[in-house]
Amino acid sequence: MSLKYFTIEERLNANAWDVDVHRPHIKIKDPERCKKCEKKPCTYMCPAKCYVQQGDYIVLSTEACVECGTCRVVCPHGNIEWNYPRSGMGIWYRFT
Amino acid sequence: MKIVVLTKAAVPLSSAIRIDPKTGTLIREGVPLTVNIWDRDAVEFALRLKDRYGGEVIALSMAPPSGIPALESLIGMGVDRAILASDRAFAGADTWATAHVLAKTIEKYIPDYDLVVAGEETIDSTTAHIGAQTASWLGVPYIYYVYDAEVKGRTLVVRRFLEDEGVDEVYEVDMPAVISVLKGSQIPREVRLSRKLNAREYIQVVSNKELGLDPECVGLRGSPTLVAGMAPATYPPRKKVVIQGEPSEVVKKLVEILKSEGVV
Amino acid sequence: MKYDVVVVGAGPAGLAAAYKLASAGFKVLVLERGREPGAKELYGGRIYAYWLDRFLPEFRKDAPVDRWVRKERVTLLTENKALTVESAVLEKERSSFVVPLVSFVSWMAKLAQNTGAKIVTEVTVDALVRDEKGRFVGVQSGSDMVQADFIIDAEGVNRLLLERAGIVKKLEPHYVAVGVKEVLKFENKKVLEERLGLDEDEGLAWAIAGYPTEYLPGGGFIYTYKDSLALGVVVYLKNWEKLRTPVYDLVERLRLHPYIASLVKGATLQEYGGHMTPVAGINMAPPRFYYDGLLIAGDAAGFLLHTGVLIRGVDFAIASGVLAAEAIKEAKSPSAEDLSVYEKKLRTSFILPQLEKFRGADKLLGDEALFKDLAVFSTEAAYRYFNIDDEHRTLLEAAREASKKTGISILKIMINMLRAVRSL
Repeated sequence: MSLKYFTIEERLNANAWDVDVHRPHIKIKDPERCKKCEKKPCTYMCPAKCYVQQGDYIVLSTEACVECGTCRVVCPHGNIEWNYPRSGMGIWYRFT
Repeated sequence: MKIVVLTKAAVPLSSAIRIDPKTGTLIREGVPLTVNIWDRDAVEFALRLKDRYGGEVIALSMAPPSGIPALESLIGMGVDRAILASDRAFAGADTWATAHVLAKTIEKYIPDYDLVVAGEETIDSTTAHIGAQTASWLGVPYIYYVYDAEVKGRTLVVRRFLEDEGVDEVYEVDMPAVISVLKGSQIPREVRLSRKLNAREYIQVVSNKELGLDPECVGLRGSPTLVAGMAPATYPPRKKVVIQGEPSEVVKKLVEILKSEGVV
Repeated sequence: MKYDVVVVGAGPAGLAAAYKLASAGFKVLVLERGREPGAKELYGGRIYAYWLDRFLPEFRKDAPVDRWVRKERVTLLTENKALTVESAVLEKERSSFVVPLVSFVSWMAKLAQNTGAKIVTEVTVDALVRDEKGRFVGVQSGSDMVQADFIIDAEGVNRLLLERAGIVKKLEPHYVAVGVKEVLKFENKKVLEERLGLDEDEGLAWAIAGYPTEYLPGGGFIYTYKDSLALGVVVYLKNWEKLRTPVYDLVERLRLHPYIASLVKGATLQEYGGHMTPVAGINMAPPRFYYDGLLIAGDAAGFLLHTGVLIRGVDFAIASGVLAAEAIKEAKSPSAEDLSVYEKKLRTSFILPQLEKFRGADKLLGDEALFKDLAVFSTEAAYRYFNIDDEHRTLLEAAREASKKTGISILKIMINMLRAVRSL
């Protein structure tokens, strides 16, 4: 039995969401600190793959974030400033 | 200054709209509606004018009652009040018939308007017709891709940006006028608790009983557009070609391939 | 802006409280950050009905229910073997049901609104506001403040407000798990029923241990909605270093497992999401559930019971919301002293006693060896028992062979079983 694998992008595109491009709700406090972070748990614990390693740095894109808060909890350096989006922006679950 | 903002309850930025492969129609189940994302720029633009010159900002929309939450959201952003033109007779309207209802609602309920502001386009129809067509129905000038404006007496000095040409232009236009706001040019303000709290009280719903428009000129019957069919877009299959060699040779080969594929 | 009660969060806990208080004549405001109640909520898929009959009996009348659960399945799954146990009730059992949380919450919101509670959406609360004496007197959102005699914090698992107010410390990885979930839609409900072996409108709740989490604490689940199903994986955050598959691929990995793939073939992906869930139960509770002017309910208070196979969040949340409402109705003033009746109610109800009873579950479920040993050993033993070759093994022989093959001692398995039957 072989089924097609849905990439994370395909899965996130199945969702309804909005984004406040001017006010990202999550920020990396000090990008330099991520360079020294050995295991970078954000890059594989985030259900929406918002954190991607590029070179030494972590690139964060908040737009398809599902607002679970996992990154904030697993970041070993407390380096993530995490808020909920405002004005109703962000994920809009309809079927879960 | 009395500013009318034209707005539509549309799907969010990512909305997972799919087309039923069997029927060719949009799957509506679970597709939520909110303020058209580009209308937020128009609202911010209008509110900034109000902040500078005083007056009133009124949001105007044509929609079924399901369009009310989107208007509540705009009240939350700071719009003073909203009018929803809502009637079964308006259903199935194309942009022309919609603009007709919007223009007639303005003439009847906001006859002393100074400026009508629209978003550049809607995210789910992307026609960018409504601004121009409303101006046409109202018989006033229309300027699009606007990102800034200044009021000088009865004249509006607007700046607009033409992305393709990379040209910045300044126009002077007599008010009343209609403008549409360049998408992404504003930083829309947030929904505020104090405004959102009693938002519903600031929304007036008007039907065709009050507007008294000719049923032949509204809704599906008043729409010259015919939808012949709908089909999901298909992506051309991806190809992968690895070209090796000297950079100059590689570029030559790449250009040849692109030409033969009809890309350039 | 002044209300009798401000509730933060239009989830099961907040809405239950709002409904009960508005029914009693209180002026209630519910603040919700999503575009509609439920927009930000995600759970596994099942609600237990027993305590709802006591705390929110209205649900029997017209709450949305996709399917009543009549089949419970538990599977120990490895890469190439599975051992499944099923418990079926063939009568019209109505003790737990599956429904999208957003549908249920939207029903609750209407219930609350019909009694006069005001629900304002798209408003993110930034802080609980205290007066100079440290009493909670309102909530802050941006530059706006709403005053209230009583505040109910039902903000959910992330509990940013409690953290900012200094009531709880930042969430620790061992308090929570992350759940990821796909909603897969079938052509129609018949297809779903045939695939999963269900009678018409019959519901299935299915827990899958082992493979879904790479044998780490947590597990996979399937719940059947009307014509779709929820497929998900929950994994404890404290084990993040041992996980080899990124969380964003965990559900896909399970969906593509041959044991599952044949069931969900042809289903389209309707939604994908993730949410944290409390797993430490009473061990992550705030120091108190009541303060001057403030009560804490639902996930924010750690009111979720997790025993591995059974996960109860919604009934705990609703009951705690109702008890918070009762406490406010009885309190003569918003003082902590008067509101302490909330804790008494939590103690005399099922909430705290049941959470206390399963205090040890957290530790056991977090035991890494438990799931791995059990899944690997049991599937191997079952395989050897059912597989006839030169030998026709007794159960004990099959178990011995499995022990030899997997290197897991039968004694260890038995000890773990004993621990499990005692604390789960």
